[in-house]
Amino acid sequence: MTREKNKEEKFQANILIVDDTQSNLRLLVDLLKKKGYKVCPVTNGKMALSEVKGMMPDLILLDIMMPEMDGYEVCRQLKADEATREIPVIFMSALDEVLDKVKAFGVGGVDYITKPFQLKEVLARVETHIELRRLQKRLEDRNEELSKTVEELKATQSQLIQSEKMAVLGQLIAGVAHEINTPLGVIRSSIGNIANFFSDSLAELPKFLQKLSPEMQSYFFNLVDNSAKKSELLSSREQRRFKRALIAELEAKNIEDSEAIADTLVDLGIYDNLEQFLPLLTDKNMPKILENAYYLSSVKNSSKNIINATERAAKIVFALKNYARYSSIEEKVPVDVIEGIETVLTLYKNSIKQGVEIVRNYGEMPLVHCYADELNQVWTNIIHNALQAMNNKGTLTIDTSAENDKVCIAIADSGPGIPEEIRAKIFEPFFTTKPAGEGSGIGLDIVKKIVEKHSGSIEVDSQRGKTTFKVFIPTS
Amino acid sequence: MGKAVILCVDDEVGVLNSLKIQLKNEFSDAYLYEAAESADEALELIEELQEDEIDIVVIVSDWLMPGIKGDEFLIKVHEKFPKIVKILLTGQADEAAITRAIERANLHTCLHKPWDSKELITTIKSGIEQLSC
Repeated sequence: MTREKNKEEKFQANILIVDDTQSNLRLLVDLLKKKGYKVCPVTNGKMALSEVKGMMPDLILLDIMMPEMDGYEVCRQLKADEATREIPVIFMSALDEVLDKVKAFGVGGVDYITKPFQLKEVLARVETHIELRRLQKRLEDRNEELSKTVEELKATQSQLIQSEKMAVLGQLIAGVAHEINTPLGVIRSSIGNIANFFSDSLAELPKFLQKLSPEMQSYFFNLVDNSAKKSELLSSREQRRFKRALIAELEAKNIEDSEAIADTLVDLGIYDNLEQFLPLLTDKNMPKILENAYYLSSVKNSSKNIINATERAAKIVFALKNYARYSSIEEKVPVDVIEGIETVLTLYKNSIKQGVEIVRNYGEMPLVHCYADELNQVWTNIIHNALQAMNNKGTLTIDTSAENDKVCIAIADSGPGIPEEIRAKIFEPFFTTKPAGEGSGIGLDIVKKIVEKHSGSIEVDSQRGKTTFKVFIPTS
Repeated sequence: MGKAVILCVDDEVGVLNSLKIQLKNEFSDAYLYEAAESADEALELIEELQEDEIDIVVIVSDWLMPGIKGDEFLIKVHEKFPKIVKILLTGQADEAAITRAIERANLHTCLHKPWDSKELITTIKSGIEQLSC
């Protein structure tokens, strides 16, 4: 530090001198003023205490032997008050006993000068303590700045987490829209089919049934009954197989229009055992009977379609609600982590549907006390990255387990892996391997911060064909 | 030359079921009805039908399916069977994919789920009519 700077500092330093002896005061005032300090002399403790708060000196020179209030008492009061506690106090006195020095330091003084003064000594000590005080103040200022910066960073981080969540949500919405549109399509079409039946076929039905022989009537109701009981859902492949077999059987019995008849029989849930229906199949009214039975049973099928589709749509909406549920909660809540992961998987159904096999190894897991919304972010980010790495084709393996007071969630993908060189960087903010515009790369950085916020840890292991992210979270 | 087939392709069984009932209600036994749960299955089925010398007149296909997507599927079909009426029925609109299907598969229409049943029937009928021109 240069002399120039010293002088500048001195100009700002102000010193409170407390001594009941006027001559001492004058001596010190002159000495210190000459050196560039601002000085304020007072003759007793009471005045000192009332001056201090207004002036906030950088140093107090305090006589000990004073009438009414001695220096120790003044010092005690200064140290008792939070506002004045930090101001350094140098005691001055004629008393030179060790006991008194110890007492002086004991009440909070930082130094001790004995009278008669050695002026150079006084200056030296004053300078030292002024410098100390200056450094202390600078430290306090810096700390305050740092605190502010930390608060700002925290706020920014919250914002980043939020906007990252919105970005991911935006991407999910497109997939979810499709997921909901499909069941809606089924429902609308099925309702149309039911309405059609009521407007077209129903009126005719009683008349038609009356014309049938009792035997044929009972076949009719058997068909409808049988169809209603059918519970298995065959794949289109299986249905085709049965149909082929039926066509062959029908042709062997010389029944015309075998493809259409076979198709209707399969729709009615009749896959084989045509022997019991032989009388029906050879009856002249057969085509119409089958047709009407089909229309009647199609109502039941349409209802089933609607029920299934409604379940599907409800599941998606539930998943969305689940995802957003914890948004506004700022405290830790007990959460079923597996439920959270399943919610994310439901929301990503569209991507998964394109060719991803999910292997679930869910061990017993206790409820985890966590910031639920943020933890969902973690699963979303890791799963999102995993699916992308595999280009939506491959295997996603999820293992969960609990040991002692921690839970471990491992999510692995069968993608090409993370090259050795960049593995260390992936958790850095804004690091991304995607081309510009395709992903801000904030994801893993946020993930790491969230995990750390939970006092947890995250590891990554990667080879060609298997990349695993392991997250450890304490349960409380 | 027997009846021709209307083929529906969608990975959702519910969609296939309700589509079939709808089409059967409308066209009765004017046509035969087939269904496939993926583009791969559909291509297999188309081969089999060809062997049995059965024609396909209309294909109604979803876009987002596991494996080959709807547009790619229809383009493949168009290469061998340019005369089939091809209709996309999709819950999600990928503009680029639809454009590709129009340009390279002569896509007749693209309908969005949930679809209007009257619209579907109308467009199937118009597609079939255009064939005879």
